[in-house]
Amino acid sequence: MKTKIVNYLLVLLAVLILVSPSFAQTASPSASPTGEAEDSAIEQLKEKVANKVTEIRRKNNKAVAGTVVTKNAGNLRIKTNEDVEYEIKLDDALTKYFQILGVKKQEIEVEDIEVGDYAIVTGVQADNSITANTIFIDERFLVMTGKISQVDKENFTLTVVTTAKEQIDLDIESSTKQSMVNIKTNEAEVSGFTKIKEGDTIHFVVSRPLNSKEGSYSARKVLIIPQEYFLK
Amino acid sequence: MKKETLIAVIFGIALGGAVALFILIKGKDFELTKNKIISPKDAGRQEAIDQPVRVDFQVLEIQSPLDGAITDKKSISITGKVQKGSLLVIQSPVGDEVFVADKNDFQFDFPVALGENVIKIVAYPQDKTIRPQEKDLKIYYLDSEL
Repeated sequence: MKTKIVNYLLVLLAVLILVSPSFAQTASPSASPTGEAEDSAIEQLKEKVANKVTEIRRKNNKAVAGTVVTKNAGNLRIKTNEDVEYEIKLDDALTKYFQILGVKKQEIEVEDIEVGDYAIVTGVQADNSITANTIFIDERFLVMTGKISQVDKENFTLTVVTTAKEQIDLDIESSTKQSMVNIKTNEAEVSGFTKIKEGDTIHFVVSRPLNSKEGSYSARKVLIIPQEYFLK
Repeated sequence: MKKETLIAVIFGIALGGAVALFILIKGKDFELTKNKIISPKDAGRQEAIDQPVRVDFQVLEIQSPLDGAITDKKSISITGKVQKGSLLVIQSPVGDEVFVADKNDFQFDFPVALGENVIKIVAYPQDKTIRPQEKDLKIYYLDSEL
């Protein structure tokens, strides 16, 4: 038995002696074609990673918009349509301010921003705090849908119950773009106020000026789906 | 180890496994027969008759763009899924689109204006007993941000 153990140990020792030089070897630097190919592959990989990072950044680049509720030196607070508040940290050197005017934007100063303005903020977001890169002051639009419950043909107003069960009075102005779905072709066509009926479904766009009467809006555009569509 | 011993060990393990499997299956059956049903036997079946489950119905899904995304182009491509035959109504302050989905996937280009673009997408299923589905997207066209 003792000789067996000694034999095993000898064999193990021999194996270790044979294997150890290969572990001790280090790669010698060389300008061989294999090395160049490796460098090229590494460069390609780096490029791919950089492209992927840019692509992900583009995909995840998001903005937050809301109404300015407080303004102090160095920060703002905005409240989104979903009633979420964000603290906006302003940086004298970094943050830029713009006012959107139709299809153009104009650079403004932080002093031009007022409580009640609708601000779009981009920057580094951590929970409910954003270090602003850029702040755009824009007009706030609401896009909603609902059912027409009342048509006032004298005052050109519509009473609408939205899908959120909110009652809204809509003023149809001469500038309001009106269209209606043709139930035969399923295409939107230019329409007029006289064709609108109680029970029709309405899609509409309004802007919300601060001094607007609660629940009353001037419609920018309306799209009607006649009730007959749902009886087909 | 002798050959006979090895065969005996393998047979032993196989037999043990078979017995364990048998006990496991029979035990479950026994538990099921022992437990009492609290609800009426036909309750579930009746409910299924009253409200047929539409497993094949495709609910409205927007795959791209993501809500809150920033773009530097004047038009975006909206892709998603909807039940075939649904009337899709898409509205924003600068665009309107109405069409019937001829398949379960849809894709269309939609204009955006500088700043915030609130886009409402509503699908009215062909089967009028199914409620319309809504999705809201906020897309920001901010040319200096990308």
